Amino acid sequence: MKIEITSDLEWSDNFLTKINEDGPWANWELYKLAIEVTKDLVISDFEGLQAPKYLPYLKPLPHQLEVARQVVEEMNGKAILADEVGLGKTIEAGLILKEYMIRGLVKKVLILVPASLVTQWAFELNTKFHIPAVTQRKSYVWDSCDVVVSSIDTAKRKPHSEIILNQDYDFVIIDEAHKLKNNKTKNYEFVQNLKKKFCLLLTATPIQNKVEEIFHLVSLLKPGHLGNAKLFAEKYKGKGRTIQEDQHLKELVNTVMIRNRRADTKIEWTKRQVETIIIDFSKTEQALYDAVSQFKVHSDGVGHSSFSTLTLQREACSSREAVYYTLKNMKAKYENPPVAFTAMIDNVLQKVNETEQNSKAEKALELIKKIDDKVIIFTEYRATQLYLQWYLQQNGISSVPFRGGFKRGKKDWMRELFQKQTQVLIATEAGGEGINLQFCNHLINFDLPWNPMRLEQRIGRIHRLGQEKDVMIYNFATRNTVEEHILKLLYEKIHLFEKVIGELDDILTKLDIHNIEEYLIDVVGESKSEGEMKIKMDNLSSLIQFAQQMKDGDVHAAAGHS
Amino acid sequence: MQQQDIHKFLVTYFEANHCEILKNHNTYLTVQLTIEMDKELMNRPFYWHYLEKTGGIPNPSQLTFITDSQNAPEHIKGEHIYFGSPRLHQIIESTKKLASYIRLYEDKQTNGQQVSLFPWLNLNVKISYQCDRKKDIFQSVGLNLITGEIVNEFYNHIFSIKLTPKIPDYSFTLSPLIMPKSGLTRLDRYIRQNFEQDDHTWAEQAVQRWNNDLRLLEHFYNESEEKSESYYTEKEALKAQYEPKIHISIVNGGLFYLSDYKTS
Repeated sequence: MKIEITSDLEWSDNFLTKINEDGPWANWELYKLAIEVTKDLVISDFEGLQAPKYLPYLKPLPHQLEVARQVVEEMNGKAILADEVGLGKTIEAGLILKEYMIRGLVKKVLILVPASLVTQWAFELNTKFHIPAVTQRKSYVWDSCDVVVSSIDTAKRKPHSEIILNQDYDFVIIDEAHKLKNNKTKNYEFVQNLKKKFCLLLTATPIQNKVEEIFHLVSLLKPGHLGNAKLFAEKYKGKGRTIQEDQHLKELVNTVMIRNRRADTKIEWTKRQVETIIIDFSKTEQALYDAVSQFKVHSDGVGHSSFSTLTLQREACSSREAVYYTLKNMKAKYENPPVAFTAMIDNVLQKVNETEQNSKAEKALELIKKIDDKVIIFTEYRATQLYLQWYLQQNGISSVPFRGGFKRGKKDWMRELFQKQTQVLIATEAGGEGINLQFCNHLINFDLPWNPMRLEQRIGRIHRLGQEKDVMIYNFATRNTVEEHILKLLYEKIHLFEKVIGELDDILTKLDIHNIEEYLIDVVGESKSEGEMKIKMDNLSSLIQFAQQMKDGDVHAAAGHS
Repeated sequence: MQQQDIHKFLVTYFEANHCEILKNHNTYLTVQLTIEMDKELMNRPFYWHYLEKTGGIPNPSQLTFITDSQNAPEHIKGEHIYFGSPRLHQIIESTKKLASYIRLYEDKQTNGQQVSLFPWLNLNVKISYQCDRKKDIFQSVGLNLITGEIVNEFYNHIFSIKLTPKIPDYSFTLSPLIMPKSGLTRLDRYIRQNFEQDDHTWAEQAVQRWNNDLRLLEHFYNESEEKSESYYTEKEALKAQYEPKIHISIVNGGLFYLSDYKTS
């Protein structure tokens, strides 16, 4: 077969010039040295990893080395790295990148990560891998630097996007790639148009909900691998199929995706200890909760909406501030709100004003003092976050806030402050992803998200590689509220908090519950009586347990074959 | 490269570049850079520019390299050098850059007798087989510019004899019949012929992988009448990823005037 062969013409031209000009000529010792070192460094095999030799201080774990080998040798450098949270996907990606750079197959690299992780990625690549990655701060960086780390939100904006789309990247890494599951978004389109010779998509939750999502993710990496959109839709849509059920699809996906589970890695993880703390409302708090429970009005002012009732109930379990904020927004939607609507809101607002204390906050304060160590508090609500910061401050406890909306520098700074100076970090949901806090081992769930996956992500921030102590998780729930229902009737029944990370993902996918949050809202909100709700919840939890047993059964069956 | 090799390598490099070795302990090494080597390694063009403009006294850096971190005395401050450390690879690159072209004469004991030296052209090359993977082969060849004879593993021979940059007394060089330019062409052809007989299944397999991905790509976009830009980008990317290529890069080379070197 015909293979293109190129020679080094520049060297020859220079050499002839030297002959004409009679030198200057190199030193003989250096000449010999150059030959010897070249012979030493020649990589004479297509196979095998060079990177570990170049990184004697790195000490990668066996599963990380195996991932790197597999991506280079079996997947031709295009893969979805989908290890469960905390198994070191960054290390895997770094090893693969390093390997290609050592072999001279990769020079120009683009790394797109959440804003909060930009600095950390650049730092790790530089210190752990000796890869001179720079963070994007000026637009000329795209051209002048070979390895650039940036947030996707910066990269997709003009003028950056135009410059980037004109570069020939040898290697593109995208962290938290599950955000690209929707092919209608600007981010998706942007990544689709990048020239990607080699490409890694990193995600801990590749198959949260729908089969289409994995289709879009794979198509970004390897268009056509799962067929085209039309055929895929015909084949898999509407049949209630899930990835797990379809052996063929599963196999196809597995040729471009690697997923290690904690259990497979044989790493000894620190334990997870879970404590549920049930809190009783004070009188005024109870009055507020009762008031919002009567609040059966749609946010457009008419009709009945269990959604807004539930939202307010959940907020009332968190803080009166959260309730106040939502009511204010509801009211602000109208220039002339209906009279009945205003009356209803004002009634609740009055209860907000009458609320004298926050029993959960008091409990949290007591707990933080007892722990006497770093603590992370997670809340769903920004208003609660602000309140807690103020409240802790009043009681002599320093804290820093953390939100998804913070700029990169601010996130880094907050993390740094928390690590070095303050005792408490208060994070909202958006802050749950993309920040590693393994130096802390106490986590308070001040209120509970209604999506168990999000709980996993919260816990994953601290229960990851590098965590040396047992992780303590404190779940707050208020007695006789929706919160307690969810906690007692579902989360505890399915042993959510004791599960190893990632298990749940599998189970939910198996069950084909597309959106568990909506489902729960439906169960809790639409049930006519507490009895009905309990039955529905029981059904759900036995379903989950059943799926769990099926999964364990799978494992046993598989083990039986080998 | 073992740690001892690295130590030896550094000493040779700095001595060859006329830097004084201030301390040569077996676990570390302190070097006084010359101005040239400071410019080569320290990456501080503004300092040197400023100094030259103001006429200040140049103060090239002193560097300490710790080549055996475990056994080096604790009070020694310096850069830890190990295989993979950026500094070592910078120095390796610098070695190659500074030692690209050479001309040497064999320094033979003559006892006053006249010695004729044959001109040889030497090339040391790295041949890279590249697709989505890559491997390299090192080759050292020499061409007798009078007889046209070509010798493999040429470096083995030149490493074993005494060479000098100035033509020694009582030695004279024979004029080449093959000019260096056509000599380069002959060697290039020779090197290519050498690996043409190689097993190139690697390239066939790469083309297979390439075609496979191309087929998927066509399938993915086959519904749209007009192919979108991303289709063409992706096609280009696949070419960059898989297309098998062989590249011959020259590490270094030069002219060697040698006495009666015969291979057979």
